[in-house]
This record gives sequence, structure tokens and C-alpha cells, in this order.
Amino acid sequence: MRSTALAVALVASLAAPARALTVDEVVARANLASYYAGDDGVARATLVIADREGRTREREFTILRKDVADGEGQRYYVYFHKPGDVRKTVFLVHKYLDQDDDRWLYLPALDLVKRIAASDKRTSFVGSHFFYEDVSGRSPAEDTHVLKEETARHYVLENTPKHPGSVEFARYTVWVDKQTFLPVKAEYQDAQGKTYRRLEAQQVETIGGFPTVVKARMDDLQTGGHTVLTFEKVEYDQGIAEDTFTERYLRNPPREYLRR
Amino acid sequence: MRGRRLGLGILLLGAGALPAAAAEPPIHGFFEVAAGARMVDDDRAADRFLLEEARFQVDFLRDGELGTLAFRADLVHDGIDGESRVEVREGNLFLTPWPRVDLKVGRQVLTWGTGDLVFLNDLFPKDWQSFFLGRDDEYLKQPADAVRATWYGGAANLDLAWQPLFAPDRYLSGERLSFWGGAGSRGPRDGELPTEEPARGLGGGTLAGRLYRNLGGWEGALYGFRGRWGQPRGFDPATGRYTFPRLEAWGASLRGALGGGVANGEASWYRSLDDRDEKDPWVPNSQVRALAGFGREVWPEQNLGLQAYLERTLCTPDAGFTDQNRWGLTARYTGLFLRQTLTLSLFTVYSPSEDDAHLRPRASYQLSDELLVTLGANLFLGAHRDTFFGQLEDNTNAYARVRYSF
Repeated sequence: MRSTALAVALVASLAAPARALTVDEVVARANLASYYAGDDGVARATLVIADREGRTREREFTILRKDVADGEGQRYYVYFHKPGDVRKTVFLVHKYLDQDDDRWLYLPALDLVKRIAASDKRTSFVGSHFFYEDVSGRSPAEDTHVLKEETARHYVLENTPKHPGSVEFARYTVWVDKQTFLPVKAEYQDAQGKTYRRLEAQQVETIGGFPTVVKARMDDLQTGGHTVLTFEKVEYDQGIAEDTFTERYLRNPPREYLRR
Repeated sequence: MRGRRLGLGILLLGAGALPAAAAEPPIHGFFEVAAGARMVDDDRAADRFLLEEARFQVDFLRDGELGTLAFRADLVHDGIDGESRVEVREGNLFLTPWPRVDLKVGRQVLTWGTGDLVFLNDLFPKDWQSFFLGRDDEYLKQPADAVRATWYGGAANLDLAWQPLFAPDRYLSGERLSFWGGAGSRGPRDGELPTEEPARGLGGGTLAGRLYRNLGGWEGALYGFRGRWGQPRGFDPATGRYTFPRLEAWGASLRGALGGGVANGEASWYRSLDDRDEKDPWVPNSQVRALAGFGREVWPEQNLGLQAYLERTLCTPDAGFTDQNRWGLTARYTGLFLRQTLTLSLFTVYSPSEDDAHLRPRASYQLSDELLVTLGANLFLGAHRDTFFGQLEDNTNAYARVRYSF
């Protein structure tokens, strides 16, 4: 898979001077660069959630991801280390592109494997300013995309939802880095054209050959709060077993990934 | 107490066998104070207070080459009985002796089944007193001293849980909560319910099994159980004591995504082994129990869950107060507010056949990552004094808890 990715990158770089990429190609490559690096990945993530007064809360978790195939369904396993009251809780998601995700929550004190209903993907992820969709990706098919501007460093895309009733934004603008194809900034606008939410990639590192956003900040410009998401100990292509994403490992977390 | 010693024994054994591996000493836990009191007068009890305790939990996990050792225990000071005690909630060793087999040996919490606070095939020990007194939901589950073996077969998985010794639920005994005692209300003033536990011996244990697999996104399971009722459902007229009749149960469940939510169905056939011909009026008859439920998000971060269940007594009901069909309806609302720091929930059970209800409103507010404040109540309503929730009417209570987690 990595060799395929390399081959694609090689072909793309050779092809690049010959013709400009179409908008859909930029979007597809940005989607893969953001959410499908490697066949699987593991990282230790920290969310520092700050309100307008600067009071902070912290969430720390290990996240494991495995792709069914590039651009398709995925499995996510999220194990919480902090805060104390959710420690050892596990959140498992089987993500599909054509149907609602399957989700489970494991509550260790009760030994309870709870199936949870699919939820609005544009609601807060564990109390932070990031949405579920920001963490696991928004399907490119949900929006129409227009190349608004091409600068020396960025493709600037304007995205309009196909089903405006299902989301809180009227449109959003994304700056995609021309080198890495990582979205490095996104701004969400309401119907009045006012920007009320902003995402910024603050630090990018190349890990295992994959450019990776290791620090990102989401600002809620209406309430004045923000969240900084940091990824540490990022590793790709670890050969994470498929059955890691089943009930067995909810009850018995895969410690080799949690104690790194 | 015997169980506690067993748990500690396994802990020591495990610690000796495990070479030091983990770098950080992973000790966590919480400190909690809780108070709760009756909101109505109860002439069967002298004390208005139902809950008055301080609790210190330590939670310890250690990985070794052999397996993982888990230990979690509460040091509790109970102001109502004026005593301090240690409650070991987990003391077990987790092993994977073969690639497809997991083994958990020692004190552990066991849960399976699909119901939300309605248990059909989960016949593992429960603590109903904690549940009605306003302790955290965690305490509804009594830990069991057990061996749990799970075989992962690919196509299907098999779970077996063996409790060598019979352990009853913490049922309504008159220790703190008053209830219907057969001929009138019973409460702390009447002393605890006289019961006769089965002789302790290896033959008297409990065996529970579950065979489960995924069926295209739906989780299907078959269940079996052989043991005893966890509550003193039988009565021995010769001794005047309540007994724990033998019980066998066979069941099935299905759970999956449906209509933007989660649907579940479960059924179980309870065979009363001490009254196979259903003639003994002092031993509960066999029953069929069934449950159907559905839950979904109704508004962002607000969920609603509904369940309907039926307990149908087979053959003619036992003398007196048992209806042949006992219906129940439950509704649960959970809403998250203020960036998920405030949780409001209400769980309601209503039985149209018994004409009684139980309401559990609760509000929890996270003051900081460490500090959680919970206010809640247990309301019991009933047209009759001898129905399940009707008998608890005088125990209607409100409680408050403050927990500091580390």
C-alpha cells in the first residue's frame, strides 16, 4: 500500500507540470493526505480545551486507525487515559461511507459494551471544539467544491454543502498545501458570510514518509473558546490486527499500543 | 469476606509471578462523599438518612509477561452503620494462554445482554440496594468471584463464566430500605429478612454461557445459565425462612443499527428447577421474559431510549399476588449541555399491569477535570403496597455526591 502511495505520488509529481489538477483531484488527494496516511496508524493525542476566560480542561487518548481501503471505510479505536473519570473507557467506531457508522462504548467499571446510536457528526468530540467529523473526516461527496484561488503555496477551495439543512455552516474555505496536500487552514462561514469557526494546522512533521499535522487549533470565534489538538508518538503501517477493532479488545485493550 | 480473601490471594499469587514490566506505577482512583435522605416519612424506619458515606477507591493495573493484573478496591466509611470496610471490586489476573482464548481469574464485574437496566440473561450478581440508595451506577453491579474463559472462534465466540460459590444479590433485606414483607410493610425496625442460603460447596456454584457473533452489523447472542435466583424468591414454611430456588435460563438477543438509532430484542426462558411441575406455591414458577428496545439521538447531544418488557409466568400463577403477565415500559432521556460538562438524565420505569413506577432524575456537573458533582433522586410511585415499586414508596429519596478523581 505504501509502495502504491509512493507510485501514485511519483506519477502525480511527474504528471503535475503537464496539466493542472482538477478541483476533485485536489479534494480527493487532500482527503487521503489528512485521513488515510498508511494502511493504519497509531498516536497519542491530547486535547486542551480552553474557554473564553482561559480555563482549560484536558483529554488524553490513544487512537488507533485501520483503513478498509484508501478513501473507503475505516475502523477507529479510542482509549482514554485522562481525565480520571473516563480513564480506561474505550470508544470504537466502524466507519462506513454509505451508511451510519457503528459505534460502541466500553465502560470498564460496569464491564458494559454499550452500542451507541449514530449521532450528529457536527457535535463536539469529547467536549472539545473539534467535531466528530473533524477527527474522522468529512466525506468529500457531501459538498460541492470550487477552486477559488491558486497561490504559490495553496489551493484555496470553497465548499458548499449539498444538504444545507444537515450542517451548521453555509460554506467553508480550505487552504490546501500544494506540496503535502494537507489542509492547513479552514474557515467556516454562516449564511451572512461571517466566519465563526477556524481550524489551523500549527505544526506539520513528516512521519514514516507521510506529512502529518501534529498540532492543530480550532477556534470558536462566537464564544471565544478554542481547543488545541496535539498528536505524539505517531506511527504508521504498524500492521494493527483487524480483530483489535472488536469486542475482545474493548474488554482487553491492546496494551502494546497504549503503553508506548 | 471469603470472597475478599480469594481475591487478595489471587492478587498476591499474580504479583509474585509477574516480573516488573511497566515503567510508571499506574495508580488511580477517586475520593467521594455522598449523602441521601428519604423525602417522605417511613414509619418502618427510625432514620431519615439512607446514604452517608465517604469512599476512597484505588485502581491499579500491572502488565507482566504472564498477563495483566487488575486490582480495584473501595475503602468505605459508612456513617449509617458507623462502620468502615474494604470492598474489593476487582482483583483478577487476565491471561491469554492460547491465541484464541482469554482467561480472567478472580474477582471481576460480569455483564452481558442488551437491556438498559433491564436484565434478562445477565443473571450475574447485582446490588439493588446501592441502585435504589443513589450510589453511582457502577455499584449496581456486584463483583463476582469467577473464572471467565472466552474462546474467539472467528465465526462465533464463546464466553463461559463460572462462579464456584453461590453469591446472592444485595437485595431488599430490610437493612435500610423498607419493602413489602408478604403480610405488611417491612423495614429496618423489623430486622433483616430471615433467609437461608444454600450450603456453600463447589456443587452450588453458577455457570453462565454466551455464544455470540456478528450477523451483518447485527450482534446476535445465545445464552445459558444454571444457578439460583439472586434474590430470596422462595419460602420454606417449615423454617419460616426465605430461600434462593434453583434456576436455569436459556435465551437469545439481537442488537443493531436501525432507523438512525439502535434497536435491541432479547428473550429468556426461566426454568424453575425446584418446582418443575409448577405445583409448589412457595417457589416461583417458570417464566418467559422478553424485551424490545430502541434508542436514538433526538436532538444534537440528546438521546432518548425506549424499552418494553414482559414477564410471563408459565402455568397458573402462584397463590395470591402474582399476575400472569407483568408489563414494563422504560424511557431514558440523556442530554449533554455546556460543552458536555452538564449531563441531565431521567430514567423511568412504568408498569401498566402493576400500576407502579420508578423515576430516576439526575444532574451531574463537571466543575473541573477532577471534580464532579451529582444530584439525583429515586422516586417510587404505586397504587398498591405489594407491587415491586409500590412497596418502595416510603423510600423515595434524594441524594448528592461529590467526587474527586485522580
